Amino acid sequence: MKLLRRIALYAGLTVAAITFIYPFLWMASSTFKPPVEVGSLALIPHDFTLDNYRTMWARAPFGRALVNSTFVATTITLAVLVFGSMTAYAMARLNFRGRPALNAATIAVLMVPGQLTLIPLYTLIVQLGWVDTYAALIVPYLFNATAILMLRQFFLQIPQSLIDSARMDGMSEPRILFTIFWPLSKPVLSIVAIFTFMGAWNEVLWPLLVVREQNLMTLPQLLTVFALGGGAGSVGVSLASAMVLVVPVVAAYAFLQRNFIESMAGSGIKG
Amino acid sequence: MPSVTFEHVTKRFGDATVIEDFDLQVADGELLVLVGGSGSGKSTILRMLAGLETVTSGRIRIDDRDVTDLAPRDRDVAMVFQDYGLYPHMTVRDNLSLGLRLRKIPRHEIDRRVAWAAGMLGLEPLLDRKPKQLSGGQRQRVAMGRAMVREPKVFLFDEPLSNLDAGLRAQMRIEIGGLQRRLKTTTIYVTHDQVEAMTLGDRIVVLADGRIQQIGRPIDLYRAPINRFVAGFIGTPPMNFVEGTLRESIGQAVFITEGMSIGVPREKTLTANPTQSLTLGIRPEDLRVESSAAQSVDDGSSAGVLRGRVVLVERLGGTSHVHFDVAGGGSRMMASVSNDRLPSVGETIVVRVPPERVHLFGADGRAIGRTAEIV
Repeated sequence: MKLLRRIALYAGLTVAAITFIYPFLWMASSTFKPPVEVGSLALIPHDFTLDNYRTMWARAPFGRALVNSTFVATTITLAVLVFGSMTAYAMARLNFRGRPALNAATIAVLMVPGQLTLIPLYTLIVQLGWVDTYAALIVPYLFNATAILMLRQFFLQIPQSLIDSARMDGMSEPRILFTIFWPLSKPVLSIVAIFTFMGAWNEVLWPLLVVREQNLMTLPQLLTVFALGGGAGSVGVSLASAMVLVVPVVAAYAFLQRNFIESMAGSGIKG
Repeated sequence: MPSVTFEHVTKRFGDATVIEDFDLQVADGELLVLVGGSGSGKSTILRMLAGLETVTSGRIRIDDRDVTDLAPRDRDVAMVFQDYGLYPHMTVRDNLSLGLRLRKIPRHEIDRRVAWAAGMLGLEPLLDRKPKQLSGGQRQRVAMGRAMVREPKVFLFDEPLSNLDAGLRAQMRIEIGGLQRRLKTTTIYVTHDQVEAMTLGDRIVVLADGRIQQIGRPIDLYRAPINRFVAGFIGTPPMNFVEGTLRESIGQAVFITEGMSIGVPREKTLTANPTQSLTLGIRPEDLRVESSAAQSVDDGSSAGVLRGRVVLVERLGGTSHVHFDVAGGGSRMMASVSNDRLPSVGETIVVRVPPERVHLFGADGRAIGRTAEIV
């Protein structure tokens, strides 16, 4: 009876797991199928081929787009972590005039939908002459209110005596942040890094607005232009380009997963 | 030359004045204890000396150097915190040496000092562990070691024992006292625990509401408290207080309240106004409990003797605390009694109040007949 229940449980879980994983695996395997096979639901290609990738690579500068996306997303992520934690540290742990107002302003920023600022921001970029530059892709994302608030919340829990000790030991405030707070904040830094990286990596609308030069396009942008613009020509090629887009994000997640789950579980500082 | 000097130091947080016109000199090599309840401002004073809080007005000197506006790292003081403030991600060795490395002290000198402090505190086997692998007492020692390796002019302790359990607290108290006597470094120690203050301090400063109540050697504070606050704060169990008035009777001053009258020595009443209401204080250990059976007391209201009905007996082992209601009056008092002849609950006892041990306080709380030790 016990065994039966266990079998039923695992069967249910397996079905659920397959429901989630199957479409992804199907997509991955279909990129290795010749056009006649793409319609099939089988997960193992009958005639294994790399043609889809070759075609994709030949028709549009995906290599360059991959470099662009990596550069843009990495720069944004690093900036959000560095500037975000500096701001969060000040907001959480330093006393200065106007701190409550700054807190309120940061929360207020969260309430403004991105679509609302799209046009003014675009106008600004045009005025600055930044259209078709990396600056247009990066600068608007250097600061992130969500990241600041998440980091601030975490920093508030770090005991004051650590800051006091560090000051007595002779550390400057930036040094306290980067040598004391950062090592203790790995979970929250990871989660902010993943969200920021994924957000920057997957962004399509903004690059479409400010970049028209093909060599500056990010991967999702190029993919959109390529697939929707009919450049792909076949489903297999479209899927191959989607794979190129999704693999780095999956890899980043796998790499930081442990911290990610730790952070989601809401653990603070131990010991 | 005093090691630490506070001159008219005032601290305000917004509209709230936390420290008011604080003056203090700490002698070189002295262990001074700042004691007071929560909100008395004791930690703020320490943090101002450390440079962790700004000073609203007044000056602070260490030796003859004005440190009021210096950063914490430039003051040559080291601090031990209540929750230790150890860096959780660093080993004990790194925790000890970080302050020295940041000061660019040569490697061999750092190693020498870390080895010295670790040896003195018994930390050698723990040097490569992280704080969370240590017990509370070990963490406390690491925190002390971190202060010691700096070889500072002044040690600051901010309630260092309050996170430890009672047994360990007593042990660490002895260690801190011993260490300070060996190192002879000027030390300022903040605590809310008057036992720590009494046992550790060369001198004690009693604080309340950001003001100094009394400064003195522990025994002086115990014997001659300057006001009712100090009298109640110093000494365990706390002093008994009874409200009453002073009368002149047959050439002697007598303190009278419901259920008792106690003759008090002349010198204790010199500054008292005969009609004013007073508070009499007597320490539980100064009361002499005599079982009623053994005593054939003729009159319970005769001078220096009172009757009471026992309401509670707390047995502590060596001594016991006998709580009793004074007969004919509402006041409840407590006496410390050796265990030989313990009265039982409900029994009527006779309690002798030695006049020379009595403290009198005026309506303003100041001790009467004592003006010499005023701060």
